[in-house]
Amino acid sequence: MDTSTVKIILQILHFLFFGYAFLAIVSYIILSIISGKETLEYLKKNSFVHYKDILSSAMSPSITIIAPAYNESLNVVENVRSLLSNHYVNYNVIIVNDGSKDDSLERLIEAYDLEKIDYIVNDKIKTKPLRAGVFKSKNPAFEKLMVVDKENGGKADALNMGLNISKSKYVACIDVDCLLLEDALQKMIKPFLDETDTRVIAAGGVIRIANSCIIRGGKLIDVNLPKNLLVQSQILEYLRAFLLGRMAWSRLNGLLVISGAFGIFDKEIAIAVGGYDTNTVGEDMEIIVRMRRYMEEKNEKYRVSYIPDPLCWTEAPDSYKIFISQRNRWTRGTIETLKKHRKIGFNPKYGSFGMLSYPYWLIFERMAPIIEVIGLIYFAILVILQEVKWEYALSFLVLSYMFSVLFSIIAIYSEELTFHQYKKKGTGFKLVLLSALEPFLLHPFVLYAAIRGNFDYFFNKKKKWGNMVRKGLATT
Amino acid sequence: MKKIVLAEDNTTLSLLLKFRLEKEGYTLFMAKDGKEATELIEAHEPDLIITDIMMPFISGLEVISHVRIKLDMDTPIIVFSAAGQEEMVLKAFNLGANDFMGKPFSPNELVIRVKRLLTVVAIS
Amino acid sequence: MINYQPLISHFKESPLLIQIAWVASCVLITAIILLSIYLKIMRYHLRKKEKENTQFKNEYEASLIEYLYSGDALGEMNATQESIIQKIKVSVPIKAKRKIIISVLYNLMNEVSGEMSDSIKLLYYKTGLIRYALERLESKRWHIIAKGIGELTRFKIDEVHHKVSKFVNHPRSEVRKETQLYLVSLFRFEGLSFLNNLTTPLSEWAQIQLLETLQKFDDQQICDIRPWLKSTNDSVVLFALKLAQIYNQFEVQDTLMELLSHPKKQIRITAIQVLTHLYGVEAKELLKANFNDLSLEEQICFFGMLEKLVMPTDEPFVEKYLFHKNFEIQLLALKILKSINIDKYMGLSQTATNEKDSSMIKLVNSL
Repeated sequence: MDTSTVKIILQILHFLFFGYAFLAIVSYIILSIISGKETLEYLKKNSFVHYKDILSSAMSPSITIIAPAYNESLNVVENVRSLLSNHYVNYNVIIVNDGSKDDSLERLIEAYDLEKIDYIVNDKIKTKPLRAGVFKSKNPAFEKLMVVDKENGGKADALNMGLNISKSKYVACIDVDCLLLEDALQKMIKPFLDETDTRVIAAGGVIRIANSCIIRGGKLIDVNLPKNLLVQSQILEYLRAFLLGRMAWSRLNGLLVISGAFGIFDKEIAIAVGGYDTNTVGEDMEIIVRMRRYMEEKNEKYRVSYIPDPLCWTEAPDSYKIFISQRNRWTRGTIETLKKHRKIGFNPKYGSFGMLSYPYWLIFERMAPIIEVIGLIYFAILVILQEVKWEYALSFLVLSYMFSVLFSIIAIYSEELTFHQYKKKGTGFKLVLLSALEPFLLHPFVLYAAIRGNFDYFFNKKKKWGNMVRKGLATT
Repeated sequence: MKKIVLAEDNTTLSLLLKFRLEKEGYTLFMAKDGKEATELIEAHEPDLIITDIMMPFISGLEVISHVRIKLDMDTPIIVFSAAGQEEMVLKAFNLGANDFMGKPFSPNELVIRVKRLLTVVAIS
Repeated sequence: MINYQPLISHFKESPLLIQIAWVASCVLITAIILLSIYLKIMRYHLRKKEKENTQFKNEYEASLIEYLYSGDALGEMNATQESIIQKIKVSVPIKAKRKIIISVLYNLMNEVSGEMSDSIKLLYYKTGLIRYALERLESKRWHIIAKGIGELTRFKIDEVHHKVSKFVNHPRSEVRKETQLYLVSLFRFEGLSFLNNLTTPLSEWAQIQLLETLQKFDDQQICDIRPWLKSTNDSVVLFALKLAQIYNQFEVQDTLMELLSHPKKQIRITAIQVLTHLYGVEAKELLKANFNDLSLEEQICFFGMLEKLVMPTDEPFVEKYLFHKNFEIQLLALKILKSINIDKYMGLSQTATNEKDSSMIKLVNSL
């Protein structure tokens, strides 16, 4: 190869990098504009809704909250209590004790006066069998509660058991340690009931970070910005992702993922597609993709909806080790899901799902870390060869940094103008400062975890679930 | 002076009822949710409990079951409920509530019922 | 002083792309700085406003309660009440304060009845709050109109009925829904007449709210719902079915029977459920005869009906489905058999061949 061919190849490579970055930035801008529009529309639409009217209606559709629990003995009693205090009439709660090795079941029996009942599971979805069986409370005040003790089979398997047992039209799948606000079910069920010609198959909500917030009696008393920088950075990251990203995808009806921490599903469809996949670490994304695919193939009009209200608060990892293992798992989940449903990508038969959402996820979510690493390696080689055009490098580095800071600030603005959760004096300044620091505090670790995830996926297939050590929400 | 614990999460309404009942000569203890209510009941051993059914964290039903089963007290209990909660009202009666008022209600009627429950107790 | 000259000339000699990048960076950093400063100001104002609002709310709540208690039984205004109204009137033109006043009144309006709700309505008139609600109806923005109608509904202002009812065909479903709620809240079953020529679909949410509103009335004398059951608008039919069930409309059974052959499955299923509720024995015989033509969901639903309306003569029919492959049908069939012929049921455990069937039989037995 002579030098001119090399030069041409390098030129093309530069163009590809540049084009990718440019497209990514443009897509961010477009998505945030759409998000803004959609958020305004949402606020307008709900500014005169009196949720109180519907909460007490016995005619509202039934919802089952399914909460899988594995070794949650520390907080399970408190958490269940908070689930039982939702302001919605027609709902019940199924706690699926997924073969816990601790005394979760005993604690629940003791606290809620449970007794074993005869029950035969209609296993529309195959799951691991029951262990101690099905329990209900003797006290009518806890009539909504049902505890199912089964053999360990993982989160997806536990959720499937819940799907089999639920008699409701809708199911809300949540992490047992999430704090659901008392109006969460009413707000989340509304999109299902609002549509007339489109079937809403699932709805997801914003996940907010509860670290350092004060929770008393299952109620969020005070919202604080945590001291831990890693958690702070994640707050900013969540604001960006939920307020600027998902809202737009909801408008485009292109949501591919509903957080496993809190989502409501149309049970009929969830069962028709066979429930959660027990062979992936990304079951929350996978089921949405599968449900969408099912609806596309049936050629029915459908929607995956999204509610921007802060309804579900959960604990975020506060150590880099746990954080990395969480993101590692998310990366593998994304890879598995996209791979399993390869058929959809760039397939006009699947409409905008195949031509827009899927490709976007593949290119800008799935591939982003890989492309970034290639870019870094390439840059390193250039440095070694002393081929770097520092003027270009520096000017574009500064530009992209400025862009990312500005983007975070816009996310802060959309929070302030809508839900304004961080009310304390001084928090605004901290958030701005964080926007400047976050690219250094969080991004390198996100990238590292994603690369680890790719590595584990391809070369370390046996890798088990990352253990998310729960500290439990601060309850007093 | 007769003591009443009132558990209601609508602040304007509870303020209104407080004024109304204090005018009748009762001492009122106000709770915003079921948890506060049970604490007040344990601390003051009231002569009457008025509770809303739908309340955050600990519902009115649980307050009733707490009073009747855990504390084993037979203090008269009046529950408030909204339309469409008939089932809950039945449960409340099963747990041992003495009377109920469906929202919206007239505060004057509440006063009459309060008086009635308190005098019945006095006779027995 | 630092000499910028070399920097500037260096910039001028740079390639265009770099120039653009630097200029863009400068624009962005200016934006960042400005937005950060403004954020501080905005947050300060938000905090201040919130504080003021709470203070105002407390103050206002107190005077509202004073107003309500100083009234006498006759509903005549006295001097104290007049002075409170004057005091509130001053705050009404200020938007933020008006909002708080309305929200406090709203909260109470929902919970109290009788003379107190009348005094609240009087206050609503006297303080001029109603003027602002009526102004909203003139707005060009749909959500403002919807808000205005919602407010008039809450405060039971039936005098402006002619101004509101024209929105019943508004292009936005939200405005239509608020109008429908207004009509039903104030005119009860008569208000439902909009269903007669409704062409747009009635969402589930709207249906629940309408039913909820209807149930608040003491007078539960319902009008003839037959025309709605025959409506060409499917959502109206579904709504009428709910009415039939809630208000126990035994007299419309014939119309309900016709709906069993409605082209829409959801309507057929709901009709079965309502007929079950109304003890439609004729419907049971009809469905039993056509059982094999029904869809699976209808079949399950029919077994639900049979569970409630079963008679000894149904035994041969039920027996055919004791080992049906569908869980729900099998469960119901077993339950029904147990209820009509316990001896035969007890004999079943010998005939069951597989484990699933025998465990089902055991379970139903323990129920």
